[in-house]
Amino acid sequence: MKTSGRVLAEKVAKIKDSKIFSIRSSNLPTWCPGCGYFGIHQGLNNAIQQLGLPHHEVVTVSGIGCAGRYPFFAHTYGLHTVHGRALPVATGVKLANPRLAVFAVGGDGDGLGIGGGHLPHIARRDIDVTYLLFDNSIYGLTKGQPSPSSPVGFKTKASPHGTTDAPLNATLMALSYGATFVARLFAGDPEAITEALVEGIQHKGFSFFHIYSTCVTFDKQFKTWDHLHEWVHPLPDSHDPTNLKQAMDEALEDQFSLGIFYRQRKE
Amino acid sequence: MPEVDLTIEICGMSGDGTIAAGGLLNAALSKAGFFLMAFDSYPAEIRGFGRCVTRSRVGMEEMLALASETHVLISLDDEQSLSRVPFLAKNATVFFDNRPPSFVEEGRSIAAHVGPDVTLLGVPFRDLTARATGTTRGRNLTALGAFAGAFDLPPGPFHEIIRKKFDPKGEKVVLANIKSFDAGLQYAREKLDRSAKGIFPVPQKTGEETDRVLLSGNTAIARGALDAGLKLYFGYPITPATPIMEYLAKALPEKGGRLLQMEDEISSIGAVLGSFYAGGRAMTATSGPGLSLMTELITHGVMAEIPAVIIDAQRGGPATGLPTKTEQSDLHAAVFGGPGDSARIVIAPTNVSECYGYTVKSFQIAEKYQTPVIVLTDFFLDNRVENVGMPRAVPEEIFDGNVYPDPSLKDRYRRFERTESGISPRSIPGMEGFLFTTTGLEHSEIGVPDYAPQNHMLMSDKRHRKITGAMADLPAPREFSKGGSLKVGVIAWGSTFGSALEAVRKAEKKGIRAGALKITSIFPYHADIIREFMARCGEILIPELNYEGQLANLIGHLFRKEVQRLDRVTGEPFPASIILEKIESLAK
Repeated sequence: MKTSGRVLAEKVAKIKDSKIFSIRSSNLPTWCPGCGYFGIHQGLNNAIQQLGLPHHEVVTVSGIGCAGRYPFFAHTYGLHTVHGRALPVATGVKLANPRLAVFAVGGDGDGLGIGGGHLPHIARRDIDVTYLLFDNSIYGLTKGQPSPSSPVGFKTKASPHGTTDAPLNATLMALSYGATFVARLFAGDPEAITEALVEGIQHKGFSFFHIYSTCVTFDKQFKTWDHLHEWVHPLPDSHDPTNLKQAMDEALEDQFSLGIFYRQRKE
Repeated sequence: MPEVDLTIEICGMSGDGTIAAGGLLNAALSKAGFFLMAFDSYPAEIRGFGRCVTRSRVGMEEMLALASETHVLISLDDEQSLSRVPFLAKNATVFFDNRPPSFVEEGRSIAAHVGPDVTLLGVPFRDLTARATGTTRGRNLTALGAFAGAFDLPPGPFHEIIRKKFDPKGEKVVLANIKSFDAGLQYAREKLDRSAKGIFPVPQKTGEETDRVLLSGNTAIARGALDAGLKLYFGYPITPATPIMEYLAKALPEKGGRLLQMEDEISSIGAVLGSFYAGGRAMTATSGPGLSLMTELITHGVMAEIPAVIIDAQRGGPATGLPTKTEQSDLHAAVFGGPGDSARIVIAPTNVSECYGYTVKSFQIAEKYQTPVIVLTDFFLDNRVENVGMPRAVPEEIFDGNVYPDPSLKDRYRRFERTESGISPRSIPGMEGFLFTTTGLEHSEIGVPDYAPQNHMLMSDKRHRKITGAMADLPAPREFSKGGSLKVGVIAWGSTFGSALEAVRKAEKKGIRAGALKITSIFPYHADIIREFMARCGEILIPELNYEGQLANLIGHLFRKEVQRLDRVTGEPFPASIILEKIESLAK
């Protein structure tokens, strides 16, 4: 008892020390306890803080979904838009005022389903926006339907016999669309998210973060914490992030390797 | 000074240089001091093989509409021009090539198909051009020369315009074209019987070589946006709005702005909203099918209180409809389209000058009222050319319309504060201490989701209060009448208004007490002014280019009895003659 009390006190002190409350909005996240999105939230907050970005010069743009609620929980300017349209709106924000750091956030339904037509174009235009795709392979806010990244056979109330549609590979898509910075990460490792984001935010051009997460409420079969912890692993040491072909091979062959897949050198 | 009201048509096959000749004719006549309105039609299909017709109405005062009859037909290809014969006015004049190539069959010459009242002026276009320049390519200019010679028009303005147009191609090309023109001019002066019935020399306007410019509605919109300080344009190609994008693609970067051709209309309006959110003036232009795709985000702009400027160049609908034909059938969609009670501002210019002026104004209004503004035009208005005094935006019209929060409110800012006017001061990213999140969910004054029953009532009321208040900044209806009580009052919008006014003026000349009311603010509309006008009218006639009578549906309830609808969906501009007929029958 005594030990755990001390551990808790230490953690509280660490949190206070981290100045996290100057970054977080006073609105508490509405996500379910245990949701992977808390880890992504922490990873992004820490990256903003590490880079010392002034909050009033940061804009967070989202669509609809659990991830879409993100801007309310961030201590930045926020745009919670309609379903699937975060990327074009973020494009307008960035071009209107290039001084702003612009983040687009959204889930796999928002970004690969209804909004799937926008990713190729922001990538090929190389707009300097940082996009975080929260991929838990399920529609959570509508209480658990299969998403474009759900595996074949995924059973939900909307797919009682299991889905038959093949899942999309968002990392491979971003690479083939010409995104100039592509990373794949895991909500269970906020430090790695921060580290990669710090690099991606400074990248002059579009940066894409494919982040695996859980839906603890509606997905008990696929991307559970246990499964993800078991499945994910770093990219091989030999991976060369300046080699697009190698990045695509890697994305094609191993869907659970994590790290910075590709980074185009900029002048 | 004699009254001039001439409609001149040039008709040919694609490849004859019909559209080019029409452009030169318009420019030269404008330069010579005439007022004009012109409208071309050419094949919709890309293969580019078909009939081309240019139509110019020329006069000594501002032209309100096209005329239904043609006084002068210049035929560059008789087989095509035969289709224009039914539209010839009595005593019309027809110029045609009387030595066409041998493959034109006997009997296919236009000369065999016109009535005895028509003056036929045969001019060997090809022969003359070939003799003057060695090729027959400039025969369209030879035809123009013959027209100028026969009608005693001074060649000066034509020479000047030809030089200006062909200058980039070098002196040799300029001279060849001038020679082609002169060959026709000289032939007409020497060989044509200019006393023949049907020839009526055009009086030359004295003095005042004008500084009027030829502008289409689309060009006027693009220039208006530029003068208003447009920073970003996002669009997707669609007829008839594309020329706006093409004009800006060249002009906007020259002014330090940027144009992005987006992947669809949804992303176009999305980026416009993002840009205005971040404080940058942006615009998109589309037509009905694109407007419908934008609808959800337009209502997002209404709910989240973000400005936007959207041009909707209407064409025939529904669905893909009639892409190259004119119609006014997006009014319902523009005013009411989308989920929920999403009142937004809709304005509709009636002529080229207003296309410019209302585009300029729309930016300020969108900013001030923090809401999307839709500017409704139509195919005819977009593509017709008028020579107008070069419009210029006055500084008051282009000032930043944003209402910013008071600096003293730093750190206790309520973005969606319910003020009396409904306008809540808006911060822009970059302002310290004024962070907020905007959302399409119903929200509280600080902008967090709030579905409480009372809150939705209060916030809906705030947003609608704002739109009602915008009426103060929107152009009021304008009456054209001798005042007092009227037998027939005609209310019209968009390009149909010109036809309505022309019809009303003709009715007045026939002794009918008629009046016209121009409505340019479609939503919100000035109900009091419209009601007052209606109260003085025995009958209200609303002509419009749609099947459902969309303006009549919107404002008809303001009249004490049923309004008279005159709905047409032929794809053509509204003929003034049909409105006049209806006025006459109502006045009986």
